[in-house]
Amino acid sequence: MDGSAEDTTTDWRSTLVDVSDMSLTELAGRSAEPDSALAHALRRLADDLTQPGQPIAGFNSAI
Amino acid sequence: MRTFRLSDAAFSALAAGRPSPATLDELRKAQLSRHLLQLREILRATGAEQPRWYAEVAAAGPEAVRGVLSDPMTGLYAAAVLRAGSDSGSDFGRPGVDLDRPRLVASGARVLSVTHDGLTLRVRLEDADPLRGLLGLTPVERLSEAAADHWRQCLQEAWRILVSRHRPDAVRLARVLSVIVPVEPEPGAGGISATSADAFGAVAMSAPADGVALAVGLLHETQHSLLNAVRTLFDLVEPSPSLGYSPWRDDPRPAFGVLHGAYAYQAVTRFWRTEAAHTRTAGSDHATSGRIAEFEFARWRAAVLEATNDLLGLSPDDSGGAVLTSAGARFVAALRDEVAGWLGEPVDAEVAPLAAGANTDHRVRWRLRNLRVDPTAVVAAWRAGRSAPAAPAATVRPASGRALEHSERLNRVHELLRAPAVGVGVTGGEREAGVRPGGGVRAGDDAYLGGDHGTAFDAYRKVLEVGPTCGELTSAWSGLAVVSPWRIMRERPELVRAVHQELEPGAVDLAALIRWLDSP
Repeated sequence: MDGSAEDTTTDWRSTLVDVSDMSLTELAGRSAEPDSALAHALRRLADDLTQPGQPIAGFNSAI
Repeated sequence: MRTFRLSDAAFSALAAGRPSPATLDELRKAQLSRHLLQLREILRATGAEQPRWYAEVAAAGPEAVRGVLSDPMTGLYAAAVLRAGSDSGSDFGRPGVDLDRPRLVASGARVLSVTHDGLTLRVRLEDADPLRGLLGLTPVERLSEAAADHWRQCLQEAWRILVSRHRPDAVRLARVLSVIVPVEPEPGAGGISATSADAFGAVAMSAPADGVALAVGLLHETQHSLLNAVRTLFDLVEPSPSLGYSPWRDDPRPAFGVLHGAYAYQAVTRFWRTEAAHTRTAGSDHATSGRIAEFEFARWRAAVLEATNDLLGLSPDDSGGAVLTSAGARFVAALRDEVAGWLGEPVDAEVAPLAAGANTDHRVRWRLRNLRVDPTAVVAAWRAGRSAPAAPAATVRPASGRALEHSERLNRVHELLRAPAVGVGVTGGEREAGVRPGGGVRAGDDAYLGGDHGTAFDAYRKVLEVGPTCGELTSAWSGLAVVSPWRIMRERPELVRAVHQELEPGAVDLAALIRWLDSP
């Protein structure tokens, strides 16, 4: 799966791109070239969606 | 485009449960980015230029847009639509859900805002959004005013506790938590909560008993949100179908589930460590809450250490196999090291063995519930009068669904912690008048909690001879493991039980059999 972190000895780098300052309109209009950072990020998110959200439930607090 | 990154120092601090504000901001940006990218995919799949709701929200300004895009319910919405398919009109089986727009914070939505010593927490008490059921638990219907008021009071008390004694954790909580979804309680459980990887900052939770329960519950669930956010950025665990032991569940769990438990309980351990220190300085008026805090601290620090050692492949009985990526190994090592630093801190001499016993009890019951072993070769050796052979490997039974810890013995321990008992204590010291250990109903537990392991062993053994219900059998076997001096009972109880059952239990001296199995 495309998502391994790169350890450059000082930084852990993700394939997820920071689009937090972009508008949805701008982002939707942007194409993802095959080997671009955007394409890698989208592929990672698509892979994540094959997992069913995996709610983590627990914490039986007996106190 | 910039990709997200964390320095090793920031990454390890996050793993240690002490992320900086800058790290939390980075994780929140990553979640916003995730929502934007998912919405992008929805638009491109449907051919729409923008959702109808977007223009309406945009009219309220960029902050309003950012608020909706960042909302955990938007994450649930986007993930659900993408999983259901590219057709925004597709029905994924949940009537009443408008797939064309995330639900905005409608008028009448309850927003709880609590402030203490200059620090404010604002959360939306979400009891109406149709998507809230996707957090994995059954949501309650619209809260009554009385129920909402209970939440308000508990949150106020929880916030007071967190801000006054756990301020760094309170600061972090306020930057992460934004939505609480009230859910139905689980029968037999003291309380239940859940998070979803699709909804950063949202917690599903049954009504808390009080402010303390809510405080520790929110800290616990926030850790799940943070770990999910880390997982958004980095793979921590290699794909694997294998399931293993989690100190917090009765069912077998995948490695990432164990990691979730370890990270959540790191925060729980830290909470009780601070509470225990507080009650020590507060004096004798807080003796009961002090015992409870010390028990929880001692129990969970050992459990977190065991779980992280298992993940790192450091456990003595570890069967090997790398389950962690390089990022995962770094994360788990830092998580572990934070808790390992607390291992040598002293705990009340009466409380420490109860905590150790609770962990042994859980581990043994887990093995009895979930592992199967073929005793044939061992039984043949016993019947032939040979030495015990090496213990055969056990296999994990398929999981039958989520199972939270439920132990009558643990309930008796909690009662003992809340009210000191008559007679001899666990370590032989005298106790004040009060509750009788075990409540007089379970003879083995009575003797165990009274510190008489020999009598307890005989009592548990007698239970096996009577032929009780399955649950009582498991409780008797785990009781034997807690009080017996033989390692095989704690490490391979499923083998001892399997051999005993094959040898016609009434005809075998159980103690002799255990000693024989323990000899290799």
